[in-house]
Amino acid sequence: MHFVNSKLTKRFDLISTHVILGGFALFALFPIVYTLMTSFKNETEVLTRPPTFFPSTLVTEGYEVVFNSEMVRYYIPNSIFNSMVSSVVVVVLASLAGYTFTRYKFRGSRALELAILGLMMIPGLTNLIPLYRIASELRALNSNIFIVAVYTAGGLPFAIWIIRSFFETIPIELEEAALIDGCTPIQALRMVIMPLAAPGLLAGFLLMFVDTWNEFLAALVLLSGNARTVTVGMYDFQSSFEIAYHVWTAACILIMLPVIVLFIGLRKQFFEAMLAGALKG
Amino acid sequence: MIEVTSLESQPHIRVGTVTPGMRTKWFPFWLLLPSIVVLLALQVGPTLYSFYLSTTRMRQGVVTDVGLENYGRILNMPSFREALRLTLIYAGSYVILTVLLGLLIALLLNRRFKFTGIYLVLIFFPWVISDVVAGTMWRWLWQPTYGLIQNWVTANLPAFGEHIYTTAGGAMFIVVMAAVWRGLAFTTLVCLGALQTVPIETLESAALDGAGRFRRFFRVILPQIRPTLMVMVLLASIQAINSVGLIFSITNGGPGGATKTAAFFLLETGWRNGDFGRGAAASVILFFINLALTLVYLRLMGRERK
Repeated sequence: MHFVNSKLTKRFDLISTHVILGGFALFALFPIVYTLMTSFKNETEVLTRPPTFFPSTLVTEGYEVVFNSEMVRYYIPNSIFNSMVSSVVVVVLASLAGYTFTRYKFRGSRALELAILGLMMIPGLTNLIPLYRIASELRALNSNIFIVAVYTAGGLPFAIWIIRSFFETIPIELEEAALIDGCTPIQALRMVIMPLAAPGLLAGFLLMFVDTWNEFLAALVLLSGNARTVTVGMYDFQSSFEIAYHVWTAACILIMLPVIVLFIGLRKQFFEAMLAGALKG
Repeated sequence: MIEVTSLESQPHIRVGTVTPGMRTKWFPFWLLLPSIVVLLALQVGPTLYSFYLSTTRMRQGVVTDVGLENYGRILNMPSFREALRLTLIYAGSYVILTVLLGLLIALLLNRRFKFTGIYLVLIFFPWVISDVVAGTMWRWLWQPTYGLIQNWVTANLPAFGEHIYTTAGGAMFIVVMAAVWRGLAFTTLVCLGALQTVPIETLESAALDGAGRFRRFFRVILPQIRPTLMVMVLLASIQAINSVGLIFSITNGGPGGATKTAAFFLLETGWRNGDFGRGAAASVILFFINLALTLVYLRLMGRERK
C-alpha cells in the first residue's frame, strides 16, 4: 500500500522498512538469545566483569541443577496437567456455547451473550483474594483440580468469543442437509460442524494453553509446595538460588520452550484466531 | 443467518433448524448450562464475594462486620495513594509506548514488501513468554554488577549511572521497558488488522488528489482506524493496570516501594499480609476503575456510531 513517486523513493522505503523492522525484531529476540547463551555458561563465567555474550565453553551445569530440582520433578508435570485439562475443557464448553449462540435465538440470548463477554472485563486479579478465601474454606488450596476450574472460568469468555466467530462462518444449510439425511442433531454437530470448525477449536486450544502455561498470579496465590507450577517455581528459584543466573536462565529456557515450539508450529491458526478476536470488538 | 419460526406455538423460541430433536425448548439451555455454572461459580461469585469481604475484618478467625471502614482506611493510606500514582505512570507509559510503536510497526508491515512477514512472527515471541520468565531475563540484563546492558551503559553512557536497577526511576523504567517488550506484539497485530480494513481505492484516490504521505495518514487512515485504536487503548490500559507478574519478578515492588502499583498493593495486603478485608477493598476499587474505563469506552463507541 505504497504510492511510488520514483525508483529512489521506493528503494528508500524498502531499506528503511527493513532497517526499522529488523531493529524491532532484534529488540524482541535479544533477551531470549542472551538468556540462551547464559544458560550454557558456568557459575564463574556468569559472575565475571565485564560480561561476555557468548559462553567460552558450552557447559550444562545450569540445566543439571534444574533437572535435579523440583522444577522438573513436580512443576513441569503440574503445568502440563493444568494447561492440558483446562484447555480441553474450555474448548469443549466454549464450542457448545458458541454453537448455541450462533444457531439459537431465544428471549434474552443476546443479553446472555453480552453478559458473558462482559465478564472478560473482570480482571483475574480482583478475584484472587476471594478465590483464596474460597479455596481455603473448601480445603482446596494446593489442589490442581481447583486451579483448573479457575482457569476454565477465566478463559471461557474469551474462548466463546473466538470460537463463536468460527461457527458463524459455517453455513446452516450443511447441518440441515445432514439432518435430512438422517443424522441426529448431536451427530450433525459432531460429524459435520466440528470438523469444519476444527481450525477455530485448535486456535482456541492454543491461546488457552499458552495463557494457562504462563499464568502466574492465581498459581502463586492458590498453590504451594509440590503443587506449584512452572511460573511460581521460577519465582521461587530467584530466592533459593540467590544469583545463580546460569540456573535461572536454564529454567527460563525450559519453561519457554514448549510454548515457543507450539507457537511456531501453529502460528497460522494463532494469527487467524488473534485477528478474529481482536478485530470483532 | 436463516431463522425459521417454530411451527409449534412457542412464542419466544425461534430455532435455526427445523428438526424434532433440536426444537425442544430446553435444548439450547442444556448446551449453555455447563458454561453458565462455571462462570457463575468462579467469576461472578468471587466478584460478589469480594464486595462482601471488603466490608469485614478478620481477627484470630473471628469475622466482624465493619461497614465501609476498610475503604476509608485504604484511601487514607499514603502507600495506597502512592500505589495509584505509580499505576498511572506505569500504565500510562505502557499504553503510549505500545500503541505508538505498534502503529509504527504495523504501518511498515502494511507496506507489504517481501519477507516482512517474518518480522511479525519474531516480534510475537515475547508475547508467548510468561511474564515471570520475561521479568527474570530483563532483571538479568540490568543486574547492577554483572548485567550486560548495565555494563554497556556504564561504559558508554555514564550519565545514567552505574546502578539503574536500584534507583526508583530506573526500576520503573526497566519494568515499563519489559512490559512494552512483551506487549508490543498485541498492539502491532491489532493495528495491522485495522490497517488492512482501509480500502486501497480510497488511498489511491487521495494520492491522485495530491495528498502526501502524512496527509493520507492523518486524513484517511487515522479516521478509519480510530475505533480500533480506542479498543486497543482500553484493552492495553486494563492489561497494564491488572498485570503484576513482571513487577514481582523484576523488582518485587522495590526499591523502597518505587514499583508498588495498586495491583501489587492488593496482593501484598490481601494475600501476603493476610488482611482479606483491606485486600478485598482494594480489589473492589480496582474493579470499579476497570468498569469506569469500560464504560468510557462504550460511550465513545456509541458516539462514534452516530
